[in-house]
Amino acid sequence: MSQKDNVMQAKDLQKVSTASKVTQVLVKFGVYAFLIIMALIVLFPFYWMIISSLKDLSEYRAPTPTFWPNKVVWDNYPMAFSTANLGQLFMNTAYVGIVSTLLSLVITVLSAFAFARLEFKGKETLFGLLLATMMIPGELFTITNYLTVKNLGWMDTFEALIVPFLVSVFYIYLLRQNFMQIPNELYLAAKVDGCKDLKYLWKVMIPLAMPTLISITILKMMGAWNSYVWPNLVTKSDATRLITNGLRNAFSDSTGDVNYPVQMAAVVIVSAPLFMVFLFLRKYIMAGVSRSGIKG
Amino acid sequence: MVDSKQQWKAWLYLSPAIVLLLVFTAWPIINTLRMAFLENYSGLQEIGGATFNFGIGNFLTVIKYKKFLQCLSNTVGLCITTVPISTILALLIAVALNSIKPLQKILQTIFFLPYVTNSIAIGMVFAAMFNIIGLRPGGGYADTWGIINLAIQAFGGEPINWINAGSNYGPNIIVMIVYIVWNALPFKILVLLGGLQSINKQYYDAAKVDSTSRTRVFARITVPLLSPMLAYVIITGFIGGFKEYSSIIGIFGENMGPAHDAGRLNTMVGFVYDALERDFQGRASAAALILFGIILLVTLFNNHVIKRFTHY
Amino acid sequence: MNKRIVAICMLAALLLGMLGMVGCQPSVSTATPNFVVPEGGFDPTQEVTITFGHTMGQASMAIVDKYIKEFNKIYPNIKVEHVNKGGWSDINGTVTTEINGGTQPNIVYCYPDHVAMYNLAKAVVTLDNLIASQLPVGETGEILGLTEAQKNDIISSYYNEGTAFGDGLMYTMPFSKSTEILFYDVDFFKEHELKVPTTWEEMWDVCEQIKTIDPTCIPLGYDSADNWFITMTEQMKSGYTDASKTGGDRFTFNNDANKAFVEELRGYYEKGLFTTKDLYGNYTSGLFTNQDPSKARCYLCIGSSGGTRHQTPKTEDEEGNTTYAFEVGIAPIPQYDANNKKAISQGPSVCILKGNDTTDQQIMASWLFVKFLVTDVAFQAEFSMDSGYMPVLNSVTENATYKAWLDAANGFDKLNALAVKVGIEERDTYFVSDAFNGSSVARVQVGAMLNKIVSTELTGGMTVESLINSAFTDAIDECVFQAG
Repeated sequence: MSQKDNVMQAKDLQKVSTASKVTQVLVKFGVYAFLIIMALIVLFPFYWMIISSLKDLSEYRAPTPTFWPNKVVWDNYPMAFSTANLGQLFMNTAYVGIVSTLLSLVITVLSAFAFARLEFKGKETLFGLLLATMMIPGELFTITNYLTVKNLGWMDTFEALIVPFLVSVFYIYLLRQNFMQIPNELYLAAKVDGCKDLKYLWKVMIPLAMPTLISITILKMMGAWNSYVWPNLVTKSDATRLITNGLRNAFSDSTGDVNYPVQMAAVVIVSAPLFMVFLFLRKYIMAGVSRSGIKG
Repeated sequence: MVDSKQQWKAWLYLSPAIVLLLVFTAWPIINTLRMAFLENYSGLQEIGGATFNFGIGNFLTVIKYKKFLQCLSNTVGLCITTVPISTILALLIAVALNSIKPLQKILQTIFFLPYVTNSIAIGMVFAAMFNIIGLRPGGGYADTWGIINLAIQAFGGEPINWINAGSNYGPNIIVMIVYIVWNALPFKILVLLGGLQSINKQYYDAAKVDSTSRTRVFARITVPLLSPMLAYVIITGFIGGFKEYSSIIGIFGENMGPAHDAGRLNTMVGFVYDALERDFQGRASAAALILFGIILLVTLFNNHVIKRFTHY
Repeated sequence: MNKRIVAICMLAALLLGMLGMVGCQPSVSTATPNFVVPEGGFDPTQEVTITFGHTMGQASMAIVDKYIKEFNKIYPNIKVEHVNKGGWSDINGTVTTEINGGTQPNIVYCYPDHVAMYNLAKAVVTLDNLIASQLPVGETGEILGLTEAQKNDIISSYYNEGTAFGDGLMYTMPFSKSTEILFYDVDFFKEHELKVPTTWEEMWDVCEQIKTIDPTCIPLGYDSADNWFITMTEQMKSGYTDASKTGGDRFTFNNDANKAFVEELRGYYEKGLFTTKDLYGNYTSGLFTNQDPSKARCYLCIGSSGGTRHQTPKTEDEEGNTTYAFEVGIAPIPQYDANNKKAISQGPSVCILKGNDTTDQQIMASWLFVKFLVTDVAFQAEFSMDSGYMPVLNSVTENATYKAWLDAANGFDKLNALAVKVGIEERDTYFVSDAFNGSSVARVQVGAMLNKIVSTELTGGMTVESLINSAFTDAIDECVFQAG
């Protein structure tokens, strides 16, 4: 190889590296522009919810929507709060949310593990059947489940609010997929080391699937916090009613019409604690995986 | 290889889920089957002393319904457009979100906000964006055009009647697609982000050493290793998409169509709801079972295709 | 060939329409009431608990609480529990599920089509025998049924709503009511010396005049297309639905009179004389109260008396001072025939439900509570003042507080009272359409049909006639299918 050639090569390399730097900057810019535009789109309804909660009913109904309330009506918030016994309803909701999330996580983790890592007869069929249950609109189940809960003597109890929704095929499937991402070699190696299934699950699988587990936690909590129709059916007294049922009184007027700004205020109030929980859990979702003992 | 110890262990782990599913899911499904095969079944009428014949009458009623095909094509149409669009967008967002350093936290937080946004608020936003208020007969003049039309006009285009009286099917469907994709994004982003976190960083480190290009890394490492989660997002997306209903109510109200054409955008589950509202549980169950059959076929097909591309 | 088919169709439609008219004759009751008052009547010394499910908000619930205390002064052993069952869109679904479980409340807030649905399970108690019972209630000095005076005091059109279910039996009692009224801009009418219309002819004349004064405006906003169609069929006696028939024959609205009326409307819509909520794309009250000069207005607006507060053109400045852009006038809706005045009656009624475990004691206790709320002047007055809905008793207007409230009515800050006042004056014109399982389908269909016919642009060989015929046939088909 002559010297001349070498010089040429070096020059080329320099060219390439400046070019790649430029593309890198462009790519960065593109990525940010894309994310920010999408973020604004996603943010818009949330913004709308907040400003709607501060509008007065006539402004909310006005033909030309306003992007900022002409007159900020803070009163919607105390109005949404005016329901009797809100503290009790809040505690009920928190209790139902936490208990059902914890129990549901245990069931989901065990089932997902069985589907992802254990071999047993009829596994594929059973999993297929589980998926199939998701394909029927759940509203058809309401009356039958209502009768079941009634026959179990669970009317107006927390059991009626928690137990029917503990198993979600949706989440089992999600976690199973996440477990499948984890290389099987890890499991086999652990087996060779004499590591027990549950220990392996606890020490390896769960930490690795933490982001997904947190997602499930958030979704499950949201569910408890937002559910309305079922609690309305199975609870009667303030001892078991949930917050959404209580808030309903505040924003429906004497004739059953809905005062939307007050409803929005109620939604903001109800969502705030969840949002806090998310802020707290966010770092676990994005924790990344750089733990020891994991080799591909 | 199946060893017997794993057998009983698997069933042990699955037992809580199975017991609960038997009571709260399998039993209602059996009941649905019963209702579907009792002609004109209505629970209230049964309490009132009516009896029903066994037969396939409910299925015939559903299939013979003039708008059955319309409900079906709306359902399928929305499904096959929204699932790919939302999946690809969510994937891009998740990967982008994962690749940046500054602003990462705040952007992640923003993408979570839709979870705590009330669906009514989302419906209202769409009204503000697409709804034309006071459109005069013959078009041309309106009191409020909506943000989207104002944008179109700013670029010199003609405003489009998206969802109001006199609107065409095309614009109606476009609005529905935008709405459904918008609604579906946050969950998919969350799932895919979670999936991305589970990809071993060593693959990327290896790629760096080999100075593999970005697109190659994306196509050869990210997508294959994320494929279980992508499969999940696509399959559940299809299952959910076939059950689309509330989003239509969100935009078009109980009319399920623009003011001059009620029911134009009705879907299969919309049909089920309509029947349930009048306590025609037999008819509703039959429609649900027909829908079930369709979803099952699509899912089997999906599974077949996806299995070939999924990397476990 | 084609003409012949059209002709045959029209003839068939005509025949159907005539059948519908025949069906309008009051049907003679052959059914027997499902509740018989036991021999001993109600025993007020026994303790009994009853539940009341409704859609009320906080303020109204406080009023009910107050009157439960009054009720307990007479009947200390009847314990009344009441609970909000969600909004109007939730309550019938909830109660239906509860009926399946036998856990329904004893008394519920209802609209007629809800009652028709509960009736599928034969779960609604007929009130005929309870109303007629002259048995004394223990030592309370009350009788179980209604006294003649009480019965006469209930506004008769409201009372008769209880029998709108096709078999002549009484299923509901009116609780608090609303109707449709005409709101107009008094200042504008005075300035241009316009006459407030009382008939539809006058209405369209006034609208033409207004359109020449303010060409960009839409003179009339009629919120609910459903109500418009149903009200016109009643005013014209042209036929809408008939609960005494069965199957598809119950839908009698496919007739020439109705077609002619909708065709006429199409002409007015093309001239830009009116709009409806669905056609406009928002509540027409927004059009009425609009104060943005760059946007159109309407000067006449027909809407529910229950929604009166939305028709006030008020603005509040930073210091909380309220100003009104114009004075609002309220009048009865225009009529087709001065000898057959009709306005729709809406708003909640109550019905009594029974299940397997419901005792006669509970049913009678529920009835006593319903009777109390419906016939107690003070309660009716207070509830009306709070909700803006109309009381169901004639004598409420004699209540001093209520009278003062009505007398203070004006077109600015006391618009609610003005609406109720006009509503009470019109009490003889109220009607409800027949109710059966599926009657709400007809309501949705005729509204959509009206919107479709007036707004669809004619394309490719479509004529007004073909548009109207196909819209009517489609609506009927949909009704027949949906209502089974």
